[in-house]
Amino acid sequence: MTSRPAPQLLALPLALLAIAVFFAVKEPAFLGPRNLTQLIVEFSIVGTLALGMFMILLTGQIDLSVGSGVGLVGGIAAVLVFQQGWPAPLAMLAAFAAALVLWLLMGTLIVKQRIPSFIITLGGLLIFKGLFWLVIQNSTIPVSRGDQDNLYSLLTTYYLPTNLGLGLAALVALALAGLTSFARSARTAHGLPVPPAARVIAQWLVTTAAVVGLVVVFNHFRGVPLSLLVLSATAGTVYFLTQHTPFGRYLYAIGGNEEAAVLSGIAVQRVLIGAYVLMGVTVALTGFMTTAYSGSSTTTVGDLMELDAIAACVIGGTALKGGRGTVWGVIFGALIMTALLNGMTLLAVSPEAKFIARGLVLTLAVWMDVKLGR
Amino acid sequence: MREHPSPAPHPKNPTVDLGQGSLAKPLLEARGLTKKFPGVTALRDVAFDLRPGEIHALCGENGAGKSTLIKLLAGIHPHGSYEGELRVDDRAVAFHSVRDAEGAGLAVITQEFALIEELSVAENIFLGRAPRCGPGGLRVDWLEMHRLAAVLLADFGLALAPETPVRELGIGQKQLVEIVRAIDKKSRVLVLDEPTAALTGQEVAVLLEHLRRLRTQGTACIYISHKLDEVFALADRITVLRDGASITTLATRDTTIPAVIKHMVGREITDLFPRRASSAGDATPPSRRPEPPILSVRSLTAASGKNAPPFLRDLSFDLHAGEVLGFGGLMGAGRTELLLHLFGAWGHRVSGEVTLSGQPFPSPTPRDAIARGLALVTEDRKRYGLILPQPIGFNLSLSSLARFTRADGFLDAPAEYLANQHFFSSLRIKAPDQHARVAGLSGGNQQKVVLGKALMTGPTVVLLDEPTRGIDVGAKLEVYELINRLTAEGQAVILVSSELPELMGLSDRILMLAAGRIGGEFTRAEFSQEKLLAAAMGRRAAAAANDQGPRTNAQ
Repeated sequence: MTSRPAPQLLALPLALLAIAVFFAVKEPAFLGPRNLTQLIVEFSIVGTLALGMFMILLTGQIDLSVGSGVGLVGGIAAVLVFQQGWPAPLAMLAAFAAALVLWLLMGTLIVKQRIPSFIITLGGLLIFKGLFWLVIQNSTIPVSRGDQDNLYSLLTTYYLPTNLGLGLAALVALALAGLTSFARSARTAHGLPVPPAARVIAQWLVTTAAVVGLVVVFNHFRGVPLSLLVLSATAGTVYFLTQHTPFGRYLYAIGGNEEAAVLSGIAVQRVLIGAYVLMGVTVALTGFMTTAYSGSSTTTVGDLMELDAIAACVIGGTALKGGRGTVWGVIFGALIMTALLNGMTLLAVSPEAKFIARGLVLTLAVWMDVKLGR
Repeated sequence: MREHPSPAPHPKNPTVDLGQGSLAKPLLEARGLTKKFPGVTALRDVAFDLRPGEIHALCGENGAGKSTLIKLLAGIHPHGSYEGELRVDDRAVAFHSVRDAEGAGLAVITQEFALIEELSVAENIFLGRAPRCGPGGLRVDWLEMHRLAAVLLADFGLALAPETPVRELGIGQKQLVEIVRAIDKKSRVLVLDEPTAALTGQEVAVLLEHLRRLRTQGTACIYISHKLDEVFALADRITVLRDGASITTLATRDTTIPAVIKHMVGREITDLFPRRASSAGDATPPSRRPEPPILSVRSLTAASGKNAPPFLRDLSFDLHAGEVLGFGGLMGAGRTELLLHLFGAWGHRVSGEVTLSGQPFPSPTPRDAIARGLALVTEDRKRYGLILPQPIGFNLSLSSLARFTRADGFLDAPAEYLANQHFFSSLRIKAPDQHARVAGLSGGNQQKVVLGKALMTGPTVVLLDEPTRGIDVGAKLEVYELINRLTAEGQAVILVSSELPELMGLSDRILMLAAGRIGGEFTRAEFSQEKLLAAAMGRRAAAAANDQGPRTNAQ
């Protein structure tokens, strides 16, 4: 909704570039197809969760429970598959439903009882953690029986065949061209101003080149990871929801001025509960992906992910006070966050130092948010 | 122009010797001030001077640059962010912060109070400089602080206990506490930005009296107000700003209200309150016509909570299509609460019935109210009306998005854009385009956005709460014309205004509220400030003030 001046818009890609160059110089394998593929899978996991968090932050609320929730939902599905022998899709559906119910409950509590979301979700963090450990009995539950692949385990281990990947890239490029020209002709038909054609075409060329380039790099390893498609679908949905539906407008309006939103006739409570339910959806998706990525559900799955998600949003320019932020910013924020974590792992940085670095990045991001907010 | 005081200099003005004053060096002087914001020049080459012991009014439409000028003087826009020179006592000064300006003796009192609600009056007065005692001055000397505060308050004729928490004070008292604090800090220049915007007539009189007294004690004052009658009752000189430039500085005794308005708007305004064509030419006022009322309220009693005392008591009235029904009354009489309650945003209904267009209208939510054809323009536009960080268009269509939602759930962006554009241009909102952020607009233009948002919902009843508060003469006129246009189109308007001339100029009928009850009902022929005020103060005062007596409701 809000357009920011060019320097700030460029700051994110530049920061990403600087991080990439730093790690690539220290360890050339950072930009190798293998690590890049891994990085993108990790990015898909963090990014999906961050997109849910984005909608919560837009309204000026917060959700600290998502890290534990991610572990819990992944754990439920793993137990159903491994111990109960349910088919993976059914198990995931059940876990998904559990997530929806939990977040509907939390959202309703926050909205109807007017308890600050900070407290409710802090309670959720602890409760979900306890439930999670109860569900998996403090043990390690694989996401599949034997070494048989199922939908669950494939989430982060399936890669599109090379040709399908390329075909998909072409499809994306075509769809992008179609959508752009459709929006453009609709505006022209209504006599509205349109950006110059040369700029639109240049933008399209750059995007297409980036997409095709990425697919080519993936294909040097195993192909486009399935999890990236999950993230893309989530990002697309969140983008259209926030930018092109009344629901999205209301998210921005509530975050900008909740009292004015009420008096403008917005069903604020319903919108807020809706945002929490959508958060539950992304928690479930992230739970499946991150549990699958680690191969099994263990007590540490999802640890501190709420902070990574918040950091990704804030790095990307989402205001903690609400009312400001873009999907593109969140995507870049998640990429920056993942690149840092992945790079440090690659350089075998000690866990102590990684914690401190993560904390510093979060602090820096919030500090910048405060500076920008003035 | 109905009730303006005589344009001649106010006889009660204690006359400061302007001749001597003009010989004295200016206490504060601004030379060639130019302040640019991205895309806007807020001030261009402004000259201004303040003499010791004078009250100098700044007048101008919203967006004329008054607030920017004050922010320069107060150090909020620091030295170096503007061109030109500020001089205090004939020496160039560079204010880098509010603290610097305070150090030079400037105290700025804005509409947003710098008082801490949870602290007492005394604590607020001595904030950051409480008297100390004990070893090393570690302990706050509460007794001494309260003694000093009591002396100060008594000097000011304020009947307040120093221990009173500030949150318990009315707006007028808060204002005076701020002034007491500024005076005690030995400020030589008081800058008051719209000090009377939220005050009742009585409180205004007290404030003006204090300012006159401070003047005789040598405190100079820069006074900003849209209320020209106040300015003429108080100021020694008037500087008019228009479009960021200082147009002229006049001695109050040598000019008139129409002349100042002419300088402010750059054109002559012949009739401040254009009489509404519908009632001026029409023999039957809307309330006497045979059609049933559009909104009908019967014995309405409402309270903020289950056990709270009611803020509306046994209220009954009708509103007809094409009618402007005015509600007057003192602060806290229940005017704003009535509008908010009708709109479903405040309180719960204890008893009584509301009927809208012949259908029962039980306690709604604002969402229902809008769906049923009500629109509310709130008194505090920044707090209740606008999403400040968002663009004009976002705000205009916010209440009407359902209309621009296609069957697939997506917004029809072009249709929304065109509707926004319609209101953007027909309301003459001054901004580069509808993508400009609302936060950057002047008060009058922000108010137009709030009006546009309300009107886009296509209401049949428009509730206007102080629609011209803090906006300039030109924008006021546009609001008045808009009200006339609405009623001419058959919509009904409930108007709440604290300014009696405005209320009388616009309303077909006026109901005065007193402590949540109707204190009197007046038709156009019965309007007079005295009668209305008497009704606002309650039945006994009304009876005493006027033997004929307004038609008070017998409840």
